[in-house]
Amino acid sequence: MAKLLIIAEHRDGKLSTATLELCRVAKAVASGLGLEPAAAVFAKDDTLAKEVAKYIPEVFAVCDAAVEKYTSDGYTQAVKAVVEAKDVKGVFIPNTYDGVDYAAKAAMAINAGIVSNCNKADVEGGKLVLTRSIFNGKLQETKSVTTDKFVVTFEKGAFDPAEAGGAGAVSNVAVSFGAIRTKVKEVIATSTGGVDISQAKIIVAGGRGLKDGDKYKEIVIPLAQKLGGEYAGSRPVIDSGWTEPSRQVGQSGKTVTPDLYLALGISGAVQHAAGMKGSKCIVAVNKDPEAPIFNIATYGIVADLFEVVPGIMANL
Amino acid sequence: MKIVVCLKQVPDMESKFKIVDDKKVDESQIAFKINDFDNYAVEAALQLKEKHGGEVIIVSAGPERAAKDIRQAFAMGADWGIHINDAAVFNGDGFVIASALAKAIEKIGGVDLVMTGVQSEDLQAGTTGVMIADILNIPSCTNVVKIDTADGKAFTLNRELEGGLNEVLELAGPAMLSIQSGINEPRYPTLPGIMKAKKKQLDNKSAGDLGVSASARTAFIKMFVPVSDSMAEIIQGAPEEAAAKLVDKLKNEAKVI
Repeated sequence: MAKLLIIAEHRDGKLSTATLELCRVAKAVASGLGLEPAAAVFAKDDTLAKEVAKYIPEVFAVCDAAVEKYTSDGYTQAVKAVVEAKDVKGVFIPNTYDGVDYAAKAAMAINAGIVSNCNKADVEGGKLVLTRSIFNGKLQETKSVTTDKFVVTFEKGAFDPAEAGGAGAVSNVAVSFGAIRTKVKEVIATSTGGVDISQAKIIVAGGRGLKDGDKYKEIVIPLAQKLGGEYAGSRPVIDSGWTEPSRQVGQSGKTVTPDLYLALGISGAVQHAAGMKGSKCIVAVNKDPEAPIFNIATYGIVADLFEVVPGIMANL
Repeated sequence: MKIVVCLKQVPDMESKFKIVDDKKVDESQIAFKINDFDNYAVEAALQLKEKHGGEVIIVSAGPERAAKDIRQAFAMGADWGIHINDAAVFNGDGFVIASALAKAIEKIGGVDLVMTGVQSEDLQAGTTGVMIADILNIPSCTNVVKIDTADGKAFTLNRELEGGLNEVLELAGPAMLSIQSGINEPRYPTLPGIMKAKKKQLDNKSAGDLGVSASARTAFIKMFVPVSDSMAEIIQGAPEEAAAKLVDKLKNEAKVI
């Protein structure tokens, strides 16, 4: 039977959670598509392939120095080789930083259509129907692939990780690698030092709705101090330099789970939500009633934050 | 350096999106602008041009209205552009659009660097730049947050990773870089820039002009407003009153302060 293949992701010898999330969705939809779920692991040896075999029935290991470190050329060539050798019909890849870097290239290499950044997969009439966010999370769309083979990437956190327990078969696939045109020098931390907001019980976070750096300092910091918490920001706040990078919450920053997360003027795009949706109580203040932050918040106030925050301060 | 920036005009994301026939959004209530990520790509291209000389060329697929934002990039300092004003292209899927953009880049010829935003704010696919690189058979790097080059030919790049990490990597041009927000501070057009932009060359091209024969590999089914099963309890009232109620709920209901 043809395969539905997930591509494992790892860094520093550790599998990413996104890999286990893909195992779950692949196992959920494979039989409806008439496919068998399988995984491919590209690494210097088969240690991680054996690990992935606890989550999925069949694992193909490409063990080669060429894929010891991630590169888009290396991963694309490995995907193509496994797809051709093992009768693979569909490929699932995490929509993470690495996934975004090579998934479309892998799709091109196997002449497949790609639907990226999906959050749901359904089988309707034997066909894969994919749901994804559009317009910054305000709307969703469904799409399908019209080519014989397909590549789909999924948002991190869209599914719960699969549970371990199986003992899948691991086999090796040999790949003769061609040119790899990017050379990895090193991985560096960009926000070393600074405050560790991940331990705070209360976080007040500001977003683009604060308008400028002075207003961020006048509104967010005093409220955080009055609540005895830390102040933080979404990506635009850090991009604009309103506060330091160590205070960024989201996919490219910190993941936080405080008792109270107060989001002021933050729309709640999926990249931000990834870093804070595990908070116990989320309060959203935003004047846009359609802002996706209201879909994950506990309490919401639809109003101008500049009028709401003084009211909060006065009642504390 | 000859740098092409692939730019997309998108709706302002604070617009009200009303869906018509489960298929499209009503454009009559929408203001359009340059995709935020592409704006950073334009700035990054202009900075490279200022350091190494050369020209910055804008290539964009979109309807008539897109010309406004191509000229906005001209006003920032880009030199000229190609507008693929053909519904067969801009209504196509990502593969069709990438194929057309790649053809336009081939026609320009001698391009050292192709740049684009890491994704569009409206469709959030993040695949166009990578597909263009594949079609042109050039190396690519996505989520670029830092560009170093001494000669405009060999590049040291920082690629953003999860959790505040960057991967530092090297590649040789010609190459495709997709630019992440925050890499720079995009400039605002000056008045003389806006005046000059009106006279800059903008070529209209169709799929036929470019020799694009790609057909879509994906199909759109429908669009809808997401329904959350965990929607927030919206606290009503004037801002001051809502604020007071919120504090009360945080103290007595959620017990988090």
